[in-house]
Amino acid sequence: MTFETRPTNGSAAIEAHALRRTFKGGIEAVRDIDLTVSAGEVFGFLGPNGAGKTTTVRMLCTLLPPTAGSATVAGFDVVAHAAEVRRRIGVALQEIGLDPVQTGRELLELQCGLYGITGRRGRKRAEELLELVGLTEAADRRTKTYSGGMKRRLDLASALVHSPEVLFLDEPTTGLDPASRLTIWDEVRRIQAGGATVFLTTQYLEEADKLCDRLAIIDEGRIVAQGTPERLKAEMGHDVVSVSLNGADVAATEAALGGLPGLERVVVEPDALALYVEDGASSIAEIVRRLDRDRIQVGAIAVARPSLDDVFLQATGRRLEGQEQQLEEPEAAR
Amino acid sequence: MTEVLLLGRRAVREVVRYPEATIPTLFIPLFFLVVNIGQVSKTFPSSTSFLKGQGYVAFQLPVSLMFAVATATSGLALVTEIDLGYFDKLLVAPIRRSSLIFGRLTADLVRGIAASTMVLVVGIALGAHVQSGVAGALLIVLLAALFGVAYAGFGILVALRTRNVQATQSSFILFFPLLFLTPNFVPFDRLSSLMETLARINPVSYVIVGLRSLVIDGWNAGKIGVAILVIALMGLVLTGLSLRVIATYDR
Repeated sequence: MTFETRPTNGSAAIEAHALRRTFKGGIEAVRDIDLTVSAGEVFGFLGPNGAGKTTTVRMLCTLLPPTAGSATVAGFDVVAHAAEVRRRIGVALQEIGLDPVQTGRELLELQCGLYGITGRRGRKRAEELLELVGLTEAADRRTKTYSGGMKRRLDLASALVHSPEVLFLDEPTTGLDPASRLTIWDEVRRIQAGGATVFLTTQYLEEADKLCDRLAIIDEGRIVAQGTPERLKAEMGHDVVSVSLNGADVAATEAALGGLPGLERVVVEPDALALYVEDGASSIAEIVRRLDRDRIQVGAIAVARPSLDDVFLQATGRRLEGQEQQLEEPEAAR
Repeated sequence: MTEVLLLGRRAVREVVRYPEATIPTLFIPLFFLVVNIGQVSKTFPSSTSFLKGQGYVAFQLPVSLMFAVATATSGLALVTEIDLGYFDKLLVAPIRRSSLIFGRLTADLVRGIAASTMVLVVGIALGAHVQSGVAGALLIVLLAALFGVAYAGFGILVALRTRNVQATQSSFILFFPLLFLTPNFVPFDRLSSLMETLARINPVSYVIVGLRSLVIDGWNAGKIGVAILVIALMGLVLTGLSLRVIATYDR
C-alpha cells in the first residue's frame, strides 16, 4: 500500500521570491527569503525556535498572507489562487490540529468529506489511512485519549486523505520520543516514494541530515545556507578535531595549540575545544606533541567530518545543538 | 452544502458528547421558571388581567425559553478549536470559510430545538396552556431555536475577534441587559418609565412578547410578525458580521 500521493506537474513544487512577513510592532519574522523546492524531494527547513520556520509554512499553506514577496505552491500563487493551492496540499502543523471530541475514525472521515471524498469512499479511505499509520485498534477511541506519538500519526494521516501533491510538516517530531520519531521518518520516506513533495521544518540536525534531500538553514528570518546536506558539509572544507579538556586550563590549551599548521579556527565549548583544521588526521600528532611539550593533560582527542551543526555555526556564529528542545515523554505531549 | 452538513454533524456530536456544557444552560431557565413562579404566583394570581385566566407560568415560560437558547456555546466551541489548532486545519481545507460558521449554527439550531422543547414540556407540566394549540407550540419551539441561532452570533464574533477563551466566556454578560431589560416579569405598561423605555428599545422584548402571545393570546399576527422580524434581523446582522470576520481572519 502506498500513500497514493500525486506528483506535481512541472519542476518546482514550491517557489518563493523575496517572501516577507512582518507582524504588528514591526517584528520581522521572515525577511525576504527565496526558495525553490523541486517536485518529489524532501526539503528541510532547519532552524532554532523563533527562526521563522512556522511563519514561512503558514504563508506557503495560505494561512497567513505575506507582507511582501510572492510564492507559488504546486504551480499556484498562494495569495491569488489560495483555493487551488489548498486542494493540492496537505498540512500537519506544529500545533497538532486534532479535535478531542471526535474519534480517530470520525476525524479522518470528516477530513475526507471536506476534500469531497464522501460516503463509502470516505469510510474506505479513512480505514486505509488508519491502517497505514497503525491506529486501527485505537480508531474508535476519542483522540483526547491518544499519546503524543499517536496524535502526530493521526494528524499526519489527516493531512494525506486527498493524496496531496505537496505535504507540509511543521516540526513533525518535536516532543516525540525517539521510537515515535523513527516511525514518522519512515512514513515521510514512504510519502516521498509515493511521489509527493515534502516540505519539513525541524530543529533537529539529525532529522535534517538523514531525511532531507536538500535543506535550507534559517536564522532570524533569513536563509543563511541552502543545499544538500552533503554539499553543505563538504563546503566547510575542513575537519573538526575535538579536544576534550577534562579540567585542563582553557587559555593554556588554546595558547599551546594556537599556531597549529592548517588551523582555521578554534571554538571554545564547555570543557572542550573544537579545532577547525585542513586535515584532521595529520594534525593529531602535532596536537599531542604540543600538549606534551606544555605538560597539559587533556581527555579524549577525536577527529570528525563537519556536521550540519558546524555548517550552522559557520553561518550564524552559534550552535544549534543544545538549543534543541528536550525530548518529552509521549504522554506529556498534548 | 455537504461541508456545512458535515461540520454541523460534528458540532452536534460535540454537544451530545459534552453534556456538561449543555446541562448548565438548561438548569438556569428551569431554575428561574420554578423559582419565579413560586415567588410571585400569589402576587399575580390567574385573575391578573395580563394573564388572561392562566397561571404566572404561562407568562414566564417564553422568558425561560429565551434563557435556554441564548448561550455562548458555539463561541466557546469555536475559540477552543482555535486554541487547539484544529481551526487552522479546517481553514486550510478547500472549503468555504462560511461553512465553518454555518456548521456551528446548525448545531445551535439542533440544540435550540431540543432545549426549547424540554423547557416547553416542563412549562406545560407546570400548568401553562398554549392557547395557539399544537401548531403554536411547534412555532414557539422553532422561533426560540432560531433566536438561539441568531444570538449565537455574539459568542462567535467575540471568539473570532479575541481568539481568547476567557473573553468569549465573559461574552455571556450581554445576556443580562438583553434578557432582563425586557418585559420579562410584567408587561411594558407595568414597568417604571425608565425600565419601560429601555425595554421598548431592546429588540429582544419583542421576541418575548411574540412568543408570549402564542401562549396566552392565541394567534396574534402582529406580535408574531414583529418577533419573526426581530429574530431575522438579529440573525442577519450577527451572522453577516461573523461571516465578514471569518473571511478576513488572518488576511
